[in-house]
Amino acid sequence: MSQTLLFLIPLLPLSCAVINMLFGMRLPRLIPETLAICGVLGAFLLTILFWGYAEGEGTRAVLGTWLSSGSVDVSFALCFDKLSAPMTLMVTGVATLIHFYAIGYMRDEVDYARFFSLLNLFVFAMLAIILADNLLILFLGWEGVGLCSYGLIGFWYRKRENAKAGTKAFLVTRVGDVFLGIALLWLFALTGTLSITEINAQAEMISPGIVTVLTLLLLVGACGKSAQLPLMTWLADAMAGPTPVSALIHAATMVTAGVYLLCRLFPLVSLSVFGMAAIAGVGAITALYAATCALAQREIKRVLAYSTMSQVGYMFMAVGAGTVSGAMFHLLTHAFFKAVLFMAAGWVIHLAGEENDIFRMGGLAKNGPKELFWIFLAAAVCLAGVPLTGGFFSKDGILLALFTEGTLLYKGYWLIGVFTALLTAFYTFRLVYLVFAGEPRGEGQPHAVPALMRWPLWPLAVLGLAGGLLNLPAMVGGGESLHQWYGKLAGRQVTASHDLEWLLIALATGIVAVGWLLAHLRYRSYREPLDNSVSRFLLAGWQADAVVDRLLVRPFAAMGRFCSAGCDRTLFDGTLEGLVKLSGRWSGLLLQLTTGRLTTYLSAFAWGFLIMLGWFLLKLVNGGGH
Amino acid sequence: MMIPFGHALAFAAALFILGLTCVLARRQIIMILIGVEIMLNAASLVFIAASAYWQQADGQVFVILLMAITAAEVAVALAMVVYLWRRKKTMIADQFNGMRG
Repeated sequence: MSQTLLFLIPLLPLSCAVINMLFGMRLPRLIPETLAICGVLGAFLLTILFWGYAEGEGTRAVLGTWLSSGSVDVSFALCFDKLSAPMTLMVTGVATLIHFYAIGYMRDEVDYARFFSLLNLFVFAMLAIILADNLLILFLGWEGVGLCSYGLIGFWYRKRENAKAGTKAFLVTRVGDVFLGIALLWLFALTGTLSITEINAQAEMISPGIVTVLTLLLLVGACGKSAQLPLMTWLADAMAGPTPVSALIHAATMVTAGVYLLCRLFPLVSLSVFGMAAIAGVGAITALYAATCALAQREIKRVLAYSTMSQVGYMFMAVGAGTVSGAMFHLLTHAFFKAVLFMAAGWVIHLAGEENDIFRMGGLAKNGPKELFWIFLAAAVCLAGVPLTGGFFSKDGILLALFTEGTLLYKGYWLIGVFTALLTAFYTFRLVYLVFAGEPRGEGQPHAVPALMRWPLWPLAVLGLAGGLLNLPAMVGGGESLHQWYGKLAGRQVTASHDLEWLLIALATGIVAVGWLLAHLRYRSYREPLDNSVSRFLLAGWQADAVVDRLLVRPFAAMGRFCSAGCDRTLFDGTLEGLVKLSGRWSGLLLQLTTGRLTTYLSAFAWGFLIMLGWFLLKLVNGGGH
Repeated sequence: MMIPFGHALAFAAALFILGLTCVLARRQIIMILIGVEIMLNAASLVFIAASAYWQQADGQVFVILLMAITAAEVAVALAMVVYLWRRKKTMIADQFNGMRG
């Protein structure tokens, strides 16, 4: 088998997307749906089939040249190595299940072709990010996921808020993309190549100061896509999109693209101590910020959105602490359980009669299907970090890496991480209690949902619960298999004495218990939500939107008004209109010459003749005897 | 006895000025046309005189051509005068100011 066949992995979803775009609406509904499934399922099966290529150094495959001009040589190159292979498997696998769910979820939607083609296009763009061996191809995918995210958030664009949320996501992530673009061009200027493997190989030749600046640029780029501070305001509003979109793009895959980018360029990024501290710092602050916001949210999907932000913050902390395997471990487990949480939330909203507010739900454990309760609970305990679940092991690994990093700064990050874990446990169980406990408070009538909306949750929930097996720490008898698998790419080996590890595990367990206890005491029986200034502040996400509005949007609008009213309408239009008036007056003067009277013309003719005659006579006199 | 060339030129110039004055001073279309004819005749006179002075026949040939053209011009011009009279019942040139800007 030729390694060029690796290109089938991204091209399969792309071709299905194109077919659906062109012909989707003319075909019977079953065909676009089947095509969409086939695209991602095929990519998933191919990834398993080609798994052997990832062994060792991995495989680079080149399909052809895209751009070739002077020293610029951009080729369609794939890198299927130990970092990209598990990520590809996760993305295609989760995407396949979510596609199945989406078919059930969107069964009444008339615009199915647009939905499924965008979803497939998204998978293609995401795979381009993951598999690219060329930063320009990666950037192409990076913009592609942004585009699909925009199109899918605003999928129901007839409602104005949805369209605005899509635009907001597009614009805010674009800010990060600009920085990423600068970083790419700078890297090209320094190394003369855009190939990721070559840049990583040459990273040590770049001077340390520039590496720090490059790392910070990459960090801002990653922040935009991964909704980290200060470019995080779009993610909560992105929940306006259909639930399968939230599950796929805004929980499992796209928002982790920033983490993946930093892991991909880890050999470069890890050279800068300051950059690493900045990455961990951004992650820590975002984790804490988002967790506090999640405490006060009323809409189920917004709680999950903030928890996503918070968990991605943990992944950033892991990268900052130097452990790629830790970050990727949390990325994988998080993708599983967060996708389940979102899909289950879609189910919950459906049962509650399209009601989003968790304070108007309740009683679903008794009245709703048992299946839903157990699945939701399984994913929730993963999120909360209850011992032995996947989320527990991955989060614990990150906290251990932070703790053993050595410097006092990282101890501070660890403290933030631990406190965030407490908040996470609290808001997760608050969500569970409000949705499932007590009596129904809404009008929703329990009814059956299509089978396609039920069974894709099972494998993901099991994966989330058992995700710890991927990278079981040595002290509980595991082999750290993920860390071993990554080999050279895994980053720092986190070593600690078993006593310390047990201590941290005990602490983490205690924290989860405290979080659960607090939530249990507060929400065991339903109470009205608090309405004080603190909760309003948290509900509004620390007023981040208002701050952005004051700092950026309003000055920009004022500048626009100034340019429009002050410059354009006064200065430019005034000048131009003045010129028009001036030439109008002059032409009026000239107009008076054309009287239409024959005698005037004749006398003008005679006078002109006389002047010409005089002129020639004068020349004749002056010119002498020529 | 030959008339001196200078006399002929002076007479032609005087005739030309008279014709020009007629064209410029009169308001009647017919009178303007007569002025134009006088100016043309002055020009013909210069041709004749020059032909006699240099003993060349070209000038006389040219004058015959000029007469033919003048006859045609007058025919067209009078036809237009008749047409203009029918339109406005006037012969004053300034009344026809339809080309006014």
